[in-house]
Formats: sequence, structure tokens, C-alpha cells
Amino acid sequence: MLRVAIVGCGKIADSHASQIRRIPGCEIVGVCDKEPLMARQLYERFPVKRCFDDLNELLNEARPNVVHITTPPQSHFEIARCCLERGCHVYVEKPFTVDEDEARRLIALANEKSLKVTAGHDDQFRPAARRLRTLTQSGFLGNGPVHMESYYCYELAPSGYSGAVLRDKRHWVRRLPGKLLHNIISHGVSRIAEYLTSESPHIIAFGFVSPFLKGMGESEIIDELRVIISEEEHTTAYFTFSSQMRPSLHQFRIYGAKNGLILDQDQETLIKLRGVKLKSYLEPFVAPAIIAKQHLGNVLANARSFLARDFHMKSGMKYLIESFYRSILQNTPVPIPYREILLTARIMDAIFAQLDARQSRVESHDQIAVHAAQSN
Amino acid sequence: MSQEENNGFIIGPDDLILVTGATGFIGSRVVENLLARGFRNLRCFSRPSSEASKIEALSNGRRNGVRLEVIRGNLLSPQDCTAAARGAVVILHLASGRGEKSYPDAFVNSVVTTRNLLEAIARHKCLKRFVNVSSFAVYTNTQKSRWRLLDESCPVETHPELRGDAYCYAKVRQDEIVAEYGKRFGLPYVIVRPGYVYGPGNEGITGRVGISTFGVFLHLGGSNIIPFTYVDNCAEAIVLAGLRKGIDGEVFNVVDDDLPSSRQFLSLYKQNVKHFKSIYVPHLVSYALCSLWEQYSHWSEGQLEPVFNRMKWRASWKKTRYSNEKLKARVDWAPKVPMTEGLRRYFEACRSRIQSA
Repeated sequence: MLRVAIVGCGKIADSHASQIRRIPGCEIVGVCDKEPLMARQLYERFPVKRCFDDLNELLNEARPNVVHITTPPQSHFEIARCCLERGCHVYVEKPFTVDEDEARRLIALANEKSLKVTAGHDDQFRPAARRLRTLTQSGFLGNGPVHMESYYCYELAPSGYSGAVLRDKRHWVRRLPGKLLHNIISHGVSRIAEYLTSESPHIIAFGFVSPFLKGMGESEIIDELRVIISEEEHTTAYFTFSSQMRPSLHQFRIYGAKNGLILDQDQETLIKLRGVKLKSYLEPFVAPAIIAKQHLGNVLANARSFLARDFHMKSGMKYLIESFYRSILQNTPVPIPYREILLTARIMDAIFAQLDARQSRVESHDQIAVHAAQSN
Repeated sequence: MSQEENNGFIIGPDDLILVTGATGFIGSRVVENLLARGFRNLRCFSRPSSEASKIEALSNGRRNGVRLEVIRGNLLSPQDCTAAARGAVVILHLASGRGEKSYPDAFVNSVVTTRNLLEAIARHKCLKRFVNVSSFAVYTNTQKSRWRLLDESCPVETHPELRGDAYCYAKVRQDEIVAEYGKRFGLPYVIVRPGYVYGPGNEGITGRVGISTFGVFLHLGGSNIIPFTYVDNCAEAIVLAGLRKGIDGEVFNVVDDDLPSSRQFLSLYKQNVKHFKSIYVPHLVSYALCSLWEQYSHWSEGQLEPVFNRMKWRASWKKTRYSNEKLKARVDWAPKVPMTEGLRRYFEACRSRIQSA
């Protein structure tokens, strides 16, 4: 029986507890939060053996084999380091760490201790995303991707998480280098990172505060981001994050030399795009019918999964957790290669550095304009 | 405030009253009520993003001597709680995590915030009353026979975590922590549990009448009585619960007189606001559907969240009568806005909202 613990008892911890209890051969031996009431409420609502408000007590007394870290990202590194030092495997919620340097140090420590870590990029393990991976690995695209487009949008709402971030100027999200983006975009960025082959792709990032947020008096939370990622005359990718565009997409499009694929996470669909066009008038009439047939196939696949009780909102998380536990128990490769975790962190670092530099330029330009206006 | 009325209160007009959630739907009416009663020393606590201007505007135009302080902060911060509670003689605690669907969010914004405030209060001894605004959501209807009266003596949910309602869970735990601090620190408290608070500013239709989750309005209430309380009447009850002598440790339910049935309300809404299609679901059918949903949720390991279940049905759609006798007898409260007038104002607000949308 694998002994599991959860550190951090906020909203995402509910998803972890829900999925862990669906996995045979494991038990939640403890949950921990520095706020004892939060630890208590998770303990009350799930089959959990004990609750703690001190990490050391959890590790000493519950003696978990695996620790899930679901705290704010600023604490991921220290908690994960502590767990690794004490011999626990670690599942860290996204973003894995605050920056690449921390990610690199954690992975080095895990390797040194012969332990395993993974990042909470669970969207990449949802049913349609797994079908996409199977097809790309079978050579459907041709020789690797030529171009990718990843959309990861987010609708701002007055209540819930985004409302709390917008209302509270001291919210922990605002203290992250990339603020709101930092806590969300790793899902969309890691989709691209999975298919990049070079270690240092070229990044061009452009971001701004949407007029919607500016109208609310917000000046520091960037909620519109466009990124171009390129490898030396090889593969290119666009990444889009938007709070304002509709529909609010969570899509990944990948095009190879032979064919392409469109993954829609919200609809849980995967559409194959044929690389060769049909002749003459067949293309506008037959090709849409082929696409329609694929959509119908997706509907049926989703219905089958639903009827088989395997269409949970967080089914990707269950798959990732199960794969991670299997890699621990059978000593097989981890579900997310460490290279991919590091590359995701590196791309995010580059994006936030460019946004920061641009923001500094804008501020200094504004100051010069104010001085000029005053001297006139 | 007349001398006669003042004699029945635990504080005088210059004693400091703290109102949390002061810019909210009920909170703003509470502040208005206190000012109208002649209380001259108020501290309003609101979130940084709340529109405090409407509270500040309340003190304008009143005679000199009114001190209305607005503190912006977060009850999750112990420092903010200390600043808010300092010197307060009466605290009317309305801030809560209403509308949160996730358990941790509802819990942190109701229970942790309340605990922080109670910790801040426990440090100073000048407090005379802490009014915790709870909800009808905490009551269980599980063991009551049909048409039985729901009053303050009825039990609350013993396993609120199973009801599929984060708000219920948080409110039950919030009430518990208030009672615990009351016992541990001798904190004088009163718990106020309003029914469904309606009025301009809350133009929704309560789920006790029906739901539109599935694209069409399902009328689930039928002939059930709906425990409405008009926002001004509710505010009055909260204020009086904070002031009246001899009620420490008591719980008060707040509902108005002349409560309409769900069917009557829906008919009036359609006549006065807008017509829409609704399908009546008989109680037996809604109970069976809730039971099926509950069983499917369990069988499928939560593929559908257990938001509909038998506990929820009993709390929301089981035939029940309500009483405000205790509130009238012990607090000397009466609903100043009659049901007909309250509904008229509410329907007018609904129409305005639709026109401006």
C-alpha cells in the first residue's frame, strides 16, 4: 500500500484527494496545512487518516512514501526539498517551481536521492491529449512538428480564484514573477515544450493589461499574452493566453510535414487534419463530411468514457497520478520527462523577463513624458 | 433613538459598532439602520475592492457628530482583524464566503475569517456582543415529518460535508466556531439565521422555488412556503440582535410574515417581471431524481458532483413551515416592510435590471 500525503489544503487539494481515493493500492495517510482549520476541513471530507499543521510532524508521524504539494508556488521548492531530503517522492502542482533554477535543483536532488518527482501538468493526460500523443508517436505528423499553436485562455470572474486575486492587492499570485500568468500558463506552455527538441528556443513575448482590467483600475496583472517560440529554422510555435477572447479556448494545434491535429480540451475532441487535399470539388464537400464524421466519433468516444465512469473533470490528474505511482512502484520512467519540466520553466522565465523589461521601459518612458510635460 | 428604546439596549449611541461585510447587500442596509437609530460611532469593514463610497455617502447629510470609519482589508489577515476589532463594543459579522462553490474557498472565507476575528476579539475585553450572521442553510430537515415547523430548536446538519453544498458546510462550521469561542473565552454572542434574503440588489430567484441549471426552469417548490425576508427587515433583525439586552447565546431565525408559496411567488414574478417557461416537477419526482443523482454520483466516484441529493432535497424542497415568533418575542422585531411592499420593490428592481442589461 502506497502511503500518500497532501501538503496544502486549498481548492486544488480537493481534486488531488478526490482522484487519489479512486486509485487502488494507495491511502492518504495525512494532510497538512499551516492553517489547522484548513487541514481539518480536508481531513473531515475525505478518507484521510490524520491531519497536521506542521510539515515535519506529517513526515515524522504519517511517514508517507509520496507527498503531493498543493501550496502556493512560492513554497513549492522548500517543501519539495524537505520531502525529498526525508526520502519521499514528490508530486508538485503547477507551476512546478517559481523559476528554472529551483526546478533544476529539485530534480538534481531527486536524482541524487534516487527518488522521483513530477509536475502537475495533468491536462496533458486527459483522454484526447493521450490520443494526440499516441498519434504523434506513431508518426502521423511526419518527421516531427513544423508548427504548433497553443491557446490557454482564462475567463476572469468576479467570484472564486480570479475574483480573489483581483480584489486582494496582497494576494500571493501577485507576488509571483509572472503574477496571474505564472499560475496558469504552464499547462499551455508545457504542451509546446513536449515537442521542442532544442534546449534554448528563441522566445518573443508580448503582453499587456486588457482594457477590461484597466477599466477596473488594474495596472499590474497582465492578462493578455502572445508568444512566439522558435527553434533554429526548424519548429515554431505560437502561445496565446487571453482573458478576453471568446470563445475562451484551451486548444493545441500541431502541424507536421504530412498531417496535422487539433486538440480541444474543453470539448475533449481530437481532429485529424489530412495533409493531402482531395481533388477539385471533392475538397469542399467531402473533406467537411470527413471532419464531421470525426466529430461524431469524438462524441461517441466521450459517451463511452462517461458510461464507463471514466470521464471525470480531473481524469487527466488521475491518469498522471497513477502513472507517477506506477513509475515509483515499478521503477519505470516518470510520466513527464524532467527535460520537459525544465524547458517549460525556462520558457516561462524568458516570457516573464521580457514582460518585466517591457514594463520597465514603459514606466521609464512615462516618467520622461511627465518630466517633459512639467518642464514645458 | 428614544430614551425608552435605548433602555432596552446594551450600548449607547456613542459606543463603537463594527460591521463586517458593510458594503454588501445586507451590510449596507445594516449600516443605514444603525445610523437611522442614532448610533454615531460606526466602523465599516470592507474588502479593498468594495464600493465603500455608498457607505461613506450614508453619513453625509447627517448631523455633525456621526463618526463613520471605513476600514478596507481582508479578514484573512490577523493584523486587519485586530485593527477592525480594536475598541468595538458590538460586532455585527456579516462578511462570509457566499457564492463560493468550492468547499475550501467557502470555508476559508467564512470559517477562517471568523476565527481570525474571534481571535482578535479575545484579546480585548470590551466586547458586549458578537452577532454571527448565519443562514437557514445550516438546518437539517432530515428527521422532521412533512409540514413540521422549522424553528430555532431544530437540529443543524451533523454531516454538512455530505450535502454537496459548500455554503452549508462553511456556515455550520462557522456557527460551531463562534459557539466554541463563546464557551472558551466567555464571548457574548448571538447567532442570526436569515431565510432567503430578497430585495433590490439580489434579483435572483431562490433555488427553493426552482432551478434553471438544465436550460429550462424547473419549478420544484410547488406549494411549499418560501422563507423570505426582505433585506431591510433582515437588517433590522441583525441590528436588534446586536443591541437587545438578555439574549446572549441565543439563536434567531429571520423570516417575514405572510410568506407566499413557491407557486404564488413564481406566478407573481411572471406577472410583474417577465414571463418564461417553467416546468413543474412534483415533489415525489424531484425526490426520486435527487436520490438517483446521489446514487449515480456515488457509483461513478464523483463523475457528477453530488450537488443534488436527498439531504439537499430535504433542506430545500421538503414542505416546511417557518416561525419568527422567537425573534418577535425576545428581540421585539417586526417586519417593517410588509411582504406585498417588499415584493413590489423587488419586482421593480428585477424589471430595472432586465431593462439595463
